[in-house]
Amino acid sequence: MKYGLFTRATFFGVAALLAGSVSELRAEDTSALIAQGKYVAEASDCSACHTVRGRGEFAGGMEFKLPIGSIYSSNITPDPTHGIGAYSEAEFSRAVREGVRRDGASLYPAMPFPSYARMSDGDIHALYVYFMKGVQPVAQAAPPNGIPWPLSIRLPMTIWRAVFSPSVVAAQKDVNRSLPDDGIGRGAYLVEGPGHCGACHSPRGMALQEKALSNSSGSLFLSGGAAIDGFVPTSLRQDQRTGLAGWSEDDIVQFLATGRNRRGEAFGGMTDAIFHGTQHLTDADLHAMARYLLSLQPHQPTLSAWHYDPSAATALQAGDASAQGAKVYVDHCEACHRSDGRGYAPAFPPLAGNPVLMSDDPASLVHVVQSGAVLPGMTKAPSAFAMPAYSGILSSQQIADVVTFIRKAWGNNAAPVTAATVEELRKSAPEPTIQKGIIPLN
Amino acid sequence: MCAKKVDAIVIGAGWAGSILAKELTEAGLSVVMLERGDERATAVEGDYPSSIDELRGAIRHRLFQNLSQSTVTIRNTLDQEALPYRRLAAFLPGEGVGGAGLHWSGVHFRVAPDDLALRTNVVARYGKNFIPEGMNLQDYGVTYEELEPFFDKAEKVFGTSGEPYTIKGKIAGNGNRFAPDRSDVFPLPAMGEVYSASLFRSAAANVGYHPYALPAANASAQYTNPYGVQMGPCNFCGYCSGYDCYMYSKASPNVNILPALRQDPKFTLITKAHVLKVNLDADKKKATGVSYLDLRTKKQVELDADLVIISAFQFHNVHLMLLSGIGQPYDPQQNTGTVGRNFVYQTITTSRAWLSPKQYTNLFVGAGGAGVAIDDFNSMNFDHGPLGFVGGSPVWVNQAGVKPIAAATGGPGGKAPTWGEGYKEAMVDTYRHSLTIDAHGSNMAYRDVYLDLDPTYSNAYGQPLLRMTFNWKDNDIRMNQYVVGKIEPIIKAMGATKYSLGMLKDGEVFDTRRYQTTHLGGGAIMGTDPKTSCVNRYLQSWDVSNVFVIGASAFPQGMGYNPTGMVAALAYWAAYHIRTTYLKNPGPMVQA
Amino acid sequence: MKIPSSTRRNFTAGLLGSASFWMYGGHKVWADALQSESAQSYNPKYFNHEEWLFLNAACARIFPADAHGPDAALLGAPEFIDRQMDTPYGHGELWYMSGPFKEGAPNLGYQLSLPPRDLYRQAIAAANAYVRDHHQGQTFAQLAIPEQIALLKVFEQGKMALGAVPAHTFFEQLRQNTLEGVFSDPLYGGNKGLAGWTLLGFPGARADFMDWVNQKGAPYPFGPVSISGETA
Repeated sequence: MKYGLFTRATFFGVAALLAGSVSELRAEDTSALIAQGKYVAEASDCSACHTVRGRGEFAGGMEFKLPIGSIYSSNITPDPTHGIGAYSEAEFSRAVREGVRRDGASLYPAMPFPSYARMSDGDIHALYVYFMKGVQPVAQAAPPNGIPWPLSIRLPMTIWRAVFSPSVVAAQKDVNRSLPDDGIGRGAYLVEGPGHCGACHSPRGMALQEKALSNSSGSLFLSGGAAIDGFVPTSLRQDQRTGLAGWSEDDIVQFLATGRNRRGEAFGGMTDAIFHGTQHLTDADLHAMARYLLSLQPHQPTLSAWHYDPSAATALQAGDASAQGAKVYVDHCEACHRSDGRGYAPAFPPLAGNPVLMSDDPASLVHVVQSGAVLPGMTKAPSAFAMPAYSGILSSQQIADVVTFIRKAWGNNAAPVTAATVEELRKSAPEPTIQKGIIPLN
Repeated sequence: MCAKKVDAIVIGAGWAGSILAKELTEAGLSVVMLERGDERATAVEGDYPSSIDELRGAIRHRLFQNLSQSTVTIRNTLDQEALPYRRLAAFLPGEGVGGAGLHWSGVHFRVAPDDLALRTNVVARYGKNFIPEGMNLQDYGVTYEELEPFFDKAEKVFGTSGEPYTIKGKIAGNGNRFAPDRSDVFPLPAMGEVYSASLFRSAAANVGYHPYALPAANASAQYTNPYGVQMGPCNFCGYCSGYDCYMYSKASPNVNILPALRQDPKFTLITKAHVLKVNLDADKKKATGVSYLDLRTKKQVELDADLVIISAFQFHNVHLMLLSGIGQPYDPQQNTGTVGRNFVYQTITTSRAWLSPKQYTNLFVGAGGAGVAIDDFNSMNFDHGPLGFVGGSPVWVNQAGVKPIAAATGGPGGKAPTWGEGYKEAMVDTYRHSLTIDAHGSNMAYRDVYLDLDPTYSNAYGQPLLRMTFNWKDNDIRMNQYVVGKIEPIIKAMGATKYSLGMLKDGEVFDTRRYQTTHLGGGAIMGTDPKTSCVNRYLQSWDVSNVFVIGASAFPQGMGYNPTGMVAALAYWAAYHIRTTYLKNPGPMVQA
Repeated sequence: MKIPSSTRRNFTAGLLGSASFWMYGGHKVWADALQSESAQSYNPKYFNHEEWLFLNAACARIFPADAHGPDAALLGAPEFIDRQMDTPYGHGELWYMSGPFKEGAPNLGYQLSLPPRDLYRQAIAAANAYVRDHHQGQTFAQLAIPEQIALLKVFEQGKMALGAVPAHTFFEQLRQNTLEGVFSDPLYGGNKGLAGWTLLGFPGARADFMDWVNQKGAPYPFGPVSISGETA
């Protein structure tokens, strides 16, 4: 069975091409295309990077801090001067799928064009119509990039692009590879293409290229990525303990739709991906993505399955908090996450068996403890929940103790964490969300 | 001045306002909700652990009305000069988004059906002469059967925990056998019982009463309500009353309605908007909108609307009607007018039992709505004939989490000193080994107990304060004394080492310095006769038909049950009739 | 948020957390040590020297040292009250303070024009003046403990006025604020070493009893924790 991307988008795309240029489209066709393009924009999570609070939708300006200086996401509204209003559809397609700006310069690969290369002509067309006709122009330039010369010369980016980014032809060929059934094909398209999940969840090489851009390149794909803003993306493959082994299709769908399920809650950048992106997808598309993810074989097949161990809970429930970190847990964590570590999902996530905290790298767990986390309300789950930041309350030793307890208890059996590690991680701790003035109203 | 126009204005962001705003936006109306206080978010007000702070919370009244801007004056009798209620004490109105619905405890009753037609029932059973001179005993004008679907809806929105007695006429659980029939189960099972509540349950049963689990809007498990909002389960932390529940497990407008409502583009919430008055047309038959003070800019703003919902706290509703000229103010001398008439309260007294030094009651463990109660002496559940009073009280152990400042300043109780030598010894014994039992009773309405505008004192915006004329009356004192007498055998059956009975004394005057309850009622009461009620059975003003007045202000007399469940049901009831009848044909829904 | 230094925290926690310490001998030495440390470590911002001495003595009489533990002065209640004086509460900003101010029946509540900080200032000065008149020029703090207690009882029950303040009103203010200082979170300067909470068996800011809803009469097992994470 072949790929399953002949969707409404493709249909409308073909219809549009037959009808000629965008400006000649009949009103109803345009509005349907705009709606489809908006959906593709949501599936592609465009606003997560191109919309910044207070600057107007898609007006850009999000800062990406790189060791060599900061770059900012661009204004992609149809404003002809500051945005992309002057782009033809071919130029637009080249920017999105190949990372080449209208003036021929190469985009920084913060833009996930190696994944977007997989997007269908129909989806690109709908996306173009949406950005030209369905988005308000904002006449405001994004801040200039702060990378000093000569590093600002984009020639290396062009080389990078040539080496690491697939051609559209090659990408489409991979999209059209044989997959078990329709649902998985559509899911593979969304995950590997517009969803660009691998941009965070796949490991990157020396040149920051993703080591695998689709499952056809092997099990490194979606096997977990490097820390982003202090949080470590987990494996989305069927890895025991650190991946999605044990998650059901409905678990994944619920997570992508609402940011929460019985097994955990989104935090860090994933909340943006869900808030701006996946929560807007249809149930059919979310199920397709889930089925595809469930088909991914483990990258580390030797990891043993997680089994609940009641001994930590038994001790706490008998008033025994003598284990390392147990008293800190009782004093500060147990109220929401419970003595049995099962939390009160979906309001408060379980710690027992949670893949986020069993990985070798404890950064996510430590950073959530230090900086707290906020899960915003979603359309299908309007309640926002917040975890407080503990860096002002607990010492590094106390955090090390409690994190060690959490990683060991309830069958988690992950390695201890030292105070030195926690102290080091303080430097990269994200700024607490609430302190940034983003108050979830609930 | 050029005024903006919306379909409906909702005044006050508490339970009643949030319910009406939700229902009206669902009906397709554009709704602006005006709240004079601040925005409130659990992530801030309920931040853990910084919100677990008794001083900032219940003692310095973080979530309550700041009296410096506006308060009431109080007197006991008509011939007294009323003086300002300068410090919060006897009752604690809320302020800010969520209103009193954010800082309440969570006891979530329906209603005793007999209370809805109390005058009819008392007259039918004991004759007209049974009603004391000066008591304005009245019916609500609505039946339990009519309200049942709305009680059910409110419970599902609140995520209420409880145990039923009958469902559709069949015994379905070990709940309150005096409770009216239900159409469905509680959305969540009853809360767990603390030690003191379980002692009360067995002792009350031994004495021959009928104990039941209090219905609590504290979630006994994780819950998702019909609006899709989620609650965590109550962990008995005890920070309910006076606090924003950090576990998202006590129902509040903020947790249970507003997250869904805020997603609706037809809904706008404006905070720091103090409504000065409802604007009326020339002949005072129709509201044109409201004037409010933007407390940020200090500018007056006019906002027009087709429909105005007055849904602030009970006495603020009455205050706003008086300031706006909606209806005729009540005059106790002439016994004319309706606005301010039948102002009522509740009779709350607390008894204490001390157990042996080996029995720890862990008073800090608790949930605001949880406990065990008996209804044997509530409403019309017992024979008043030989007793000669109207009304009654549920009796309960409602261990809501006793914090140390409240316990310490309240003193050890009994004859123990409240400071100095011997104080600590007694305080430790009381805090570790005692429990309390409340009689939470009705308060009838009287001709000389009412609300009007104060002639002397004004608020920060130059408007006259509301004046309360209130005192305890013989009928209610005797009712309280009778019911408290029934607590004594329960305490003895518990095996208490000593006890003290708390009850109103003969001739006792209302004391504003001591917290009793925030369950104020009446003043804008519902009924079937425009001469003796402000609003009709749909809570629509008899005088200005596009104004609805929602809240405990509609209660003709103070009942034994906590009011929030009844307020919520009346809000859904009124909203249903606005949606299905009023909006199709605006105008009076009941002809006067 | 104030985080106590670990030395101080461990010192007081270890000291006061142990019930046996207070029940059996030797605590006088330590109590004196604590007292001297506490007296040195806080300089009142609002109260002057004479007021401060009055407050320390009065707090200690209201909540005295005994077999159950140290007095309120040692637990920081005077520091708590001093710090409260410069809050919205101390300035009377939580109260309706518009006139006219009239006397009325006691059950109608507080009717003075004085916010707490002014009430303390007037009443302490008047109380010391009263003591000077009746005790050969001494101040309240200089009196022997039994005399201080007797005087507080006069204030508590008396009809006398201290300046514009009825003595009973002042005493109740003092009693209320002293106990607030003993039992509030140590964030506010009182409840040193969580000794107030330890006395009652109150667990503090942990606020989670899911596993302890009904112990069938057994005590709760864990000691208190404060908002800032201090334990005892």
